[in-house]
Amino acid sequence: MSTVLDQIEQQIAKLSTKAVKKNTGNIRTIADGVAKIDGLSDVMYNEMVAFPGGAIGIALNLEETEVGCVILGDVSKLKEGDEVTTTGKLLSVPVGKALLGRVVDALGNAVDGKGPIDAKETYPVERIAPGIMARKSVNQPLFTGIMAIDSMIPIGRGQRELIIGDRGTGKTTIAIDTIINQAKINKVGLASGDAKFRPVYSIYVAIGQKSSNIVRTVAALEAAGALEYTIIVAATAADNPANQYIAPYSGAAMGEWFMENGMDALIVYDDLSKHAVAYRQISLILKRPSGREAYPGDVFYLHSRLLERAARLDGKGSLTALPIIETLAGDVSAYIPTNVISITDGQIFLETDLFNQGIRPAVSVGLSVSRVGSSAQIKATKQVGGKLKGELAQFRELAAFAQFGSDLDAKTKAQLERGARIVELFKQPAFSPAAIELQVSILFAMQKGFFDPIDAKKVVAAAANMKNFFTTRKDALLTEIRNKAALDKDLEAKLQAACDEWKSGYTA
Amino acid sequence: MAAAAKQAQQLARQLFKLSVVDNVVSTDRVAGVLAYVEKHAPANAVLVLKAYHRLIAVELAKSEARVEHAGAVAPAALAAIAAAMTKKYRRPITATARAHPALLAGLRVRVGDDVYESSVSGQLAALSLSV
Ligand SMILES: Nc1ncnc2c1ncn2[C@@H]1O[C@H](COP(=O)(O)OP(=O)(O)O)[C@@H](O)[C@H]1O
Ligand SMILES: [Mg+2]
Repeated sequence: MSTVLDQIEQQIAKLSTKAVKKNTGNIRTIADGVAKIDGLSDVMYNEMVAFPGGAIGIALNLEETEVGCVILGDVSKLKEGDEVTTTGKLLSVPVGKALLGRVVDALGNAVDGKGPIDAKETYPVERIAPGIMARKSVNQPLFTGIMAIDSMIPIGRGQRELIIGDRGTGKTTIAIDTIINQAKINKVGLASGDAKFRPVYSIYVAIGQKSSNIVRTVAALEAAGALEYTIIVAATAADNPANQYIAPYSGAAMGEWFMENGMDALIVYDDLSKHAVAYRQISLILKRPSGREAYPGDVFYLHSRLLERAARLDGKGSLTALPIIETLAGDVSAYIPTNVISITDGQIFLETDLFNQGIRPAVSVGLSVSRVGSSAQIKATKQVGGKLKGELAQFRELAAFAQFGSDLDAKTKAQLERGARIVELFKQPAFSPAAIELQVSILFAMQKGFFDPIDAKKVVAAAANMKNFFTTRKDALLTEIRNKAALDKDLEAKLQAACDEWKSGYTA
Repeated sequence: MAAAAKQAQQLARQLFKLSVVDNVVSTDRVAGVLAYVEKHAPANAVLVLKAYHRLIAVELAKSEARVEHAGAVAPAALAAIAAAMTKKYRRPITATARAHPALLAGLRVRVGDDVYESSVSGQLAALSLSV
């Protein structure tokens, strides 16, 4: 008998030292992936709490008598009265190169059936963005492979450029093209053995999309050989809103790992409109006061704290963000679009009208801007494309004018002809990004008038033929352009000669 | 509805503050509050009393150390725990025992919503959280 007592007394002695203290609570109500919990008096904002059965929650609402938690993972087995405990930890996800080529959920768990991920490190999902002192100005290019963007709306590493447009205008396609282009550049750069070459790793965060769409995206990346440089974070429309809410922050943490370890990464958030909707749903269940369009008051902070995490860090790497916003009927003055426009460093605006006219990618050059990227543009692109934006703006003005008057002077006619050809030249099929040196060559040919004699309707075919000619026959020249990144007299002469050679062999 | 609930919550909090003397729920004061509510019947009396009940229950739980153990707990052990917890929380805490056969060995002490575990199952659970 006394041994039992001894045992108990020993336990008491241990109580102050060895006993594990937990702060607990009980589920009061649970619905739509959100639980209200009695107790948890010690919980911190954003702290991870443990539910029975391994589900994880995040404390979002700390009130006097209850705590509101979003639940990640399987909620089907949770019920009222279940005990919940604090963990004293913030939510973290696995990070590192082991995630490349994989599809993971909002918590970084593999969902691609390729087995567990052997990640060595984790990063917290929520993190304070780097301060201004740690940041370096954006001056290294990030090529999208899309001519209209790289030549007129250039993006730099560490920049945040919004892709905005209605449904079905090609937003996702532009983002995927950009990821594919990074993979292509990585392959060439890593094979060249250049010690200064900096690969770009990509993270694609799918929020609230149909699973079938995500499968299609993964297939496109795989077909292009880009999956091995890409992490896909998927929170589908079928996932509860909590997972959709967390996914972009998880993706950002994975991107930050590359940046903190001296590498460059690109992150796509597809899309933040659905992200805001998921957050609104959570907030409504938590009975937070709502404001404009029924969004809670802190929806601005939702996206600003996410996008602030994109940066170029002094002495380290960079994280470039391409958030996507879906508009309704082109309305950019709605609440979420205006918020995100104000947070980003520019936007690529896609228009349904252009898309339907067959101008694809449907980039509206007049409404798109990049506020920091031009300092990252290579000299060669500036040399051949510096005037393009102005030329196109003038073309649109003249084209509108030309519909009324029939008598046009020769100069106006020439400008119209040139403009129509530039528009054609910028058409590009999905999933076929063009290397920057190829873009420079094509634009050089255009500036030198090689497309002027070709019927506008046949410019697309001619440009495709020229691209093929350069890639198959002028590889050395392309490499030289890529390495010099600027056109000197010698290169210009070589380009002129190559264009002449193409012209003599081409019949429209 | 939401406004009514808020009002009831506010009144309940006031009544609750009146019921606590020196960090301890006073039986006399609670009786007084109940008599007051019965006599004056404030709007949404049921809501008020429910909220009041919750606040008092949470407060009472803070003054009680519930000791769970697989077998019986000796009175001396209970007294020791009560003393330790009183010191730790700087408020009078009484200890009560409760059988909990599922604990493999050791103790589980609950004060308010804090739980102290030195049971094997507790340590296993803590271990599984930390890996
Ligand atoms: N440059 C392009 N050329 C031809 N088709 C395109 C192009 N860009 C997009 N598309 C097609 O348009 C459709 C919608 O594109 P998507 O990128 O999914 O739009 P969004 O993401 O804006 O809804 C897809 O079927 C896609 O293949
Ligand atoms: Mg899309």
